[in-house]
Amino acid sequence: KDKPAASKDSTPEGAAKRQEDGAETPKQQLLDIIGNMKVEVSYRKKLQQLKASENKKQAINKVEGPNSEGSVPQGTAEDTQRGKPLNPELVKAASAVASFLPHNKKQTESELLAQLRRHEETTDKQKKGGAINIRNVISEMAVKRQSPAQRGARITGRLSLRLDEDGQRIRPERSSAQSTDSRRSLKVGKRLNIFTKTSTKPEHTLETVSSPTIWDLEFAKEVAAVTAQPPRNGFEEMIQWTKEGILWEFPIDNEVGMEDDAEFHEHIFLEKHLEGFPKEGPIRHFMELVVCGLSKNPYLSVKQKVEHIEWFQKYFEEKKELLQEI
Amino acid sequence: MAAAALSWALRAARQVLPSPCPGQVRSYYVDWRMLRDVKRRRMAYEHADERLRINAIRKNSILPRELQEAADKEIAALPRDSCPVRIRNRCVLTSRPRGVRRRWRLSRIVFRHFADHAQMSGVQRAMW
Repeated sequence: KDKPAASKDSTPEGAAKRQEDGAETPKQQLLDIIGNMKVEVSYRKKLQQLKASENKKQAINKVEGPNSEGSVPQGTAEDTQRGKPLNPELVKAASAVASFLPHNKKQTESELLAQLRRHEETTDKQKKGGAINIRNVISEMAVKRQSPAQRGARITGRLSLRLDEDGQRIRPERSSAQSTDSRRSLKVGKRLNIFTKTSTKPEHTLETVSSPTIWDLEFAKEVAAVTAQPPRNGFEEMIQWTKEGILWEFPIDNEVGMEDDAEFHEHIFLEKHLEGFPKEGPIRHFMELVVCGLSKNPYLSVKQKVEHIEWFQKYFEEKKELLQEI
Repeated sequence: MAAAALSWALRAARQVLPSPCPGQVRSYYVDWRMLRDVKRRRMAYEHADERLRINAIRKNSILPRELQEAADKEIAALPRDSCPVRIRNRCVLTSRPRGVRRRWRLSRIVFRHFADHAQMSGVQRAMW
C-alpha cells in the first residue's frame, strides 16, 4: 500500500491508470495480463497441505482443484502409485463424493484417493515419530504467490518514467516493496521445525512500568489537544459534553456516583456500634437518639454514620473526668 | 507574621482557577471580599461536621448541663470563619452582596444584562 501512495504523489498519470478502470490503456491491459499469467501452481500445493490435515471435507475445495489443474495432472499420477491399500469404506465414500460432484468424476476420485493415501502416510509417520524429511518439507512449501495488483504495481514502477520538476529522473521508491518482500519471505509460510525454539522470555513476567514522566504527560496532553477536532454537529457536541461531565448520561440513573454497597440493615440497625458506651445513663439515652436519627438518614453512607458515632465515643472518652465529677 | 499572612493572601488571590472550558476564563477572583468569602466557605465546609456534633450536644435537654457548657466553650474555640453564618451569597460575577438571585447566583444587574441578550436559558421578559 505504500507503493501506490508514493507513486500517486509523483506520477499523476500512473495513479490515473490504476484508479480508473474504465479507461484501460493498452499498458494497463498488458499489466493485467502479466499479473494473471502467473500459473497457480502454488495454489495446488496449498490445497494439498490443507487436505493433509483434514479428512474428506476438502472434497468441496477440490471442485476448484480440477478446474485450475487441468493442465497439470502429472503430480497426481505419481501419488496414486504410493502407499498402502486404503480402508475400503473410505474408498467407497470417496467414490460417492466424486460421483456427487458435478465435474470430472474419475479425476476427482483419483485425486481423493491420492489425498487419502497421503493422509494415511502422514499419520503413520507421526505415529512412528518419524524424522523430519527435508524433501517432504520442501515439497510442501508453497511458492510465494503475488497478488496481481501488487505485481501490476511493481511492473508499472519499473516501466513508468518519473520526472522531477528539474526534469531529472527520480529513482522509484522500491525500498518499501523490497523490504516487504524480504519480510514476507522470512516469516510467511509453514513452520519447518528445524530449529529448536528459543527459551521463553522472562521479560514478560516482570514488566514494571515506571510512572509516566512529566514529559509523557505533556506529550499526551498535546496529542489530545491536536486530535480533538471541534464538533461537527450537535450530536458530537453533546458527546463531548457527556465526556466532560457537563451532561448527564441518558437514561438518567439516579444512583450515579453513589456506590453504596451496604445493605439496608447496615443502615438501620446501628445498635451494634453502641457497645463502647455505658449501658445506662443520659449518655446512652442521647446516643440512642443519635442512632435513631442516623437510621432515618438516607443521605449518609454507612461509613459516615459509623464515623459519626465514633466521634461521639471519642468525645465522651475525653470528657470522662468531667463526667466522674458529676 | 503580618507579612506572611499578606503573602499567603496575595498568593491566594492570584490563584489560577482551573480552566477546562474553552470559553472566557477569569484568572482572579473579582475582589478581596469575594476571596474572603471563598475562604469562609472552605473553612465552614471543613468544620461542618464538628460543629454539627458539638451543637447536638449543646442543644438537648438530656445531657447534664456541665457537659453542655464544656461544649459551648469548645465551639467558641473553633476559628471564627468556620461558622456558616458568616457566608454571604455574593454575586458570582460582580461580587455584589445585595440583590443576588439565589437560583442563578447573579446580581440583579448582571441577570438583567444576560436575560436581555438572550443568554439565560428559559428566561423571558414578563408580560401579562
